Amino acid sequence: MITHHPKHELLSAFVEGELPASLSAAIAVHAEMCEICAKNIQHLTEESAANFFSPDVKTYNSYSDKPASNTAATDELSYEFMIDSITEDESIAELVVQEPLEIEIKGSTYQLPTALRSMSMMGWQKMGKLSRARLNLNEGALHSSLLHIDKDGGVPSHTHKGFELTLLLEGSFEDEMGTYVKGDFIWLTDKNTHTPHTTEGCLCYTVADDALQFIQGLSKLLNPIGAFIY
Amino acid sequence: MNTPWNYNSAPAEIILRNSTMDPDEQQQLKGWLYDIATDRDKAAFTALFSWFAPKIIRFGIQKLNTESAANELLQETMSNIWRKAHLFDGDKGQATTWVYSIMRNLSFDMLRKVRSNREDTLSDDIWPIAEAELIEDNVFDDHLMSTHILKHINTLPEAQKEIVNGLYFQDLSQEQLATKLAIPLGTVKSRLRLALVKLKQQIGESK
Ligand SMILES: [Zn+2]
Repeated sequence: MITHHPKHELLSAFVEGELPASLSAAIAVHAEMCEICAKNIQHLTEESAANFFSPDVKTYNSYSDKPASNTAATDELSYEFMIDSITEDESIAELVVQEPLEIEIKGSTYQLPTALRSMSMMGWQKMGKLSRARLNLNEGALHSSLLHIDKDGGVPSHTHKGFELTLLLEGSFEDEMGTYVKGDFIWLTDKNTHTPHTTEGCLCYTVADDALQFIQGLSKLLNPIGAFIY
Repeated sequence: MNTPWNYNSAPAEIILRNSTMDPDEQQQLKGWLYDIATDRDKAAFTALFSWFAPKIIRFGIQKLNTESAANELLQETMSNIWRKAHLFDGDKGQATTWVYSIMRNLSFDMLRKVRSNREDTLSDDIWPIAEAELIEDNVFDDHLMSTHILKHINTLPEAQKEIVNGLYFQDLSQEQLATKLAIPLGTVKSRLRLALVKLKQQIGESK
């Protein structure tokens, strides 16, 4: 059962389209697997729509409080023009039926969730039981990847300078704090240290805003792995 | 992105605040959308445009910061409404929620273009239209499958009629029809959707 969910603030920002693509996709994938969050997103969307489209929103921001006199007339004209140009188009939008996209890594085949389907993906880089394919989203310090850990593999004890989001797409893993299953949305910050390990193997979608920091003895030598993974 | 989100969070049930939308007004918006879908009704579109335009502009300025971006958002949102009205299902939700989703998706893609300099349109994948929900399997249940529906089917444009006939009277699958008519599967679905909107409306009116 899924026990880790995105926080309410994240869902609200998601619904308003304010989150970066990497995090928006993570929430969309989670909601595909989690009925509770899907329902909450539905409610939040209705609420946002009602807020923005209610007849009496006047005080939303200062930009719209500009004097109406000099814009009203030109607005009407340009609106008329806009309406004409839009309605000239007689076509209707066709639904596009897309085939599911599959990826193969270490002999296993996985179907990619819809939200990740169109993201441009770099090739797999492999280091022992770890394989990582970076998603090329161009979001500055935010790095998104697919991370595969083969059976009986793990990541040495580490913490994070910023945050690290792990969304389990397939399989399971465990760390000092518990066991995680498909769909779990695991948000870690610099306060959390953990040593993930998987018995059955797993595929994760990860988003982090800085490299991992390995903290234990020999693991310090492994810090290049941190840069490798995230 | 500086909020310290907790690591282990249980989802709280979200309580809806009272919407300030008048039910009659919601019904009016739905009516305009149906008229656009079935008749390409420009008067209905103009009415819908006037109702939404200032609100979309306000949203655009708040999220995208400039007036020109807000205008682009308005143009794109309204153009999508014009071309997608047949995909709106008034039984599943309010017109405002549907328009909001379209506007939010476009705003997301525009914001991404500015922040990450990318022209990709990821919003369609992040907030996909659930096709399975869109085309219900049992649209023609027994009471609809009566003789009086036949006369309504005959009023459909040829392209939609052949889809409905193929699916419900020749028992072909959507895939088989696509192959037979040499059109993409998505086109079969769109035409079916449009036919269903029209039939539902006509049957509703004649009751
Ligand atoms: Zn959830």
